[in-house]
Amino acid sequence: MTSRGTPSRFLKSVLQNGVGRYVCQLKRLSLVFSKVGQSSLGAREYIEEGVVDFARQNPGIVVYVSPQSHTVPKLVAEYLNGAVKEEQIASKTSQEIAQLITKLTGQSGLEVIRIRKPIHTDSPSIQGQWHPFTNRPPALGVLRPGDRQTQ
Amino acid sequence: MSGFTKSAQQWATFARSWYLIDAKMQPPGKIAAMCSVRLQGKHKPIYHALSDIGDHVVVINTRHVAFSGNKWEQKVYSSHTGYPGGFKQVTAAQLHQKDPKAIMKLAVYGMLPRNLSRRTMMQRLHLFPDDVIPEDILRNITEELPQPRTVPKKLSEYTQEEREAFPRLWTPPEDFRMK
Repeated sequence: MTSRGTPSRFLKSVLQNGVGRYVCQLKRLSLVFSKVGQSSLGAREYIEEGVVDFARQNPGIVVYVSPQSHTVPKLVAEYLNGAVKEEQIASKTSQEIAQLITKLTGQSGLEVIRIRKPIHTDSPSIQGQWHPFTNRPPALGVLRPGDRQTQ
Repeated sequence: MSGFTKSAQQWATFARSWYLIDAKMQPPGKIAAMCSVRLQGKHKPIYHALSDIGDHVVVINTRHVAFSGNKWEQKVYSSHTGYPGGFKQVTAAQLHQKDPKAIMKLAVYGMLPRNLSRRTMMQRLHLFPDDVIPEDILRNITEELPQPRTVPKKLSEYTQEEREAFPRLWTPPEDFRMK
């Protein structure tokens, strides 16, 4: 199978003119769960065990814990570049949820799809793009003046 | 780069240049090789087979090309009219007398790749039997390419002083009888 039909993008950084540099790109994390649902068991366990530690260790991330009745538990991660990513955590253990949150914290918020080229530069050429007159003497005087009667 | 935007730079990159080649006393194959490279755009660092970036080539003095050896008599140009018995064969000398541009044209055509852009590239080849070029073509020319061979000088083109200054192996005596 070729990968031509799959979605793709070019290599990009999340620098945001330097503002987003060296900064955790995850800015908001909502943990939606149900207080009674069976599938939210792992989520409830994680809230009891780990969510406070996680919020203390990552002061740059706003963590919301929102109980909603009869809902499928999920993680909603919002990134600095505006991307919103939802992860289903139904029937997952608290370790799996902790792993998922670590993954979301480390991501940049850019889509995880095929990257067309492994390289990118904002300034393609410092010496300037090639054109027909690079490394060539200027036009006039190149024609031999001698036997060209039209000169 | 002020006042010279990125898009304008690209126009300059893909602009077509016009080259002039003087074919006087030059082997047609050498001239054709130079033409074929430039018509295809292979002399450019941005060359790609799918991008149409060939340049124009103006060849003058095609009447005065110089075949070496016995090619004028023994090189044969063959064609077929398509009718029964329509196989034609002419020597280079006969073809050159009929059309002074034909030898250069066939030489370049044979060196171009056999694909759909071959005829387009041939249209960018401008052949002139003498050194008279129309004014509109002359205005486009940016560079004259150096000739692959130095043009030999005729004896009549040397001055009397140069002829006398020519080194001699021996001076014939007064009473020497030339055969």
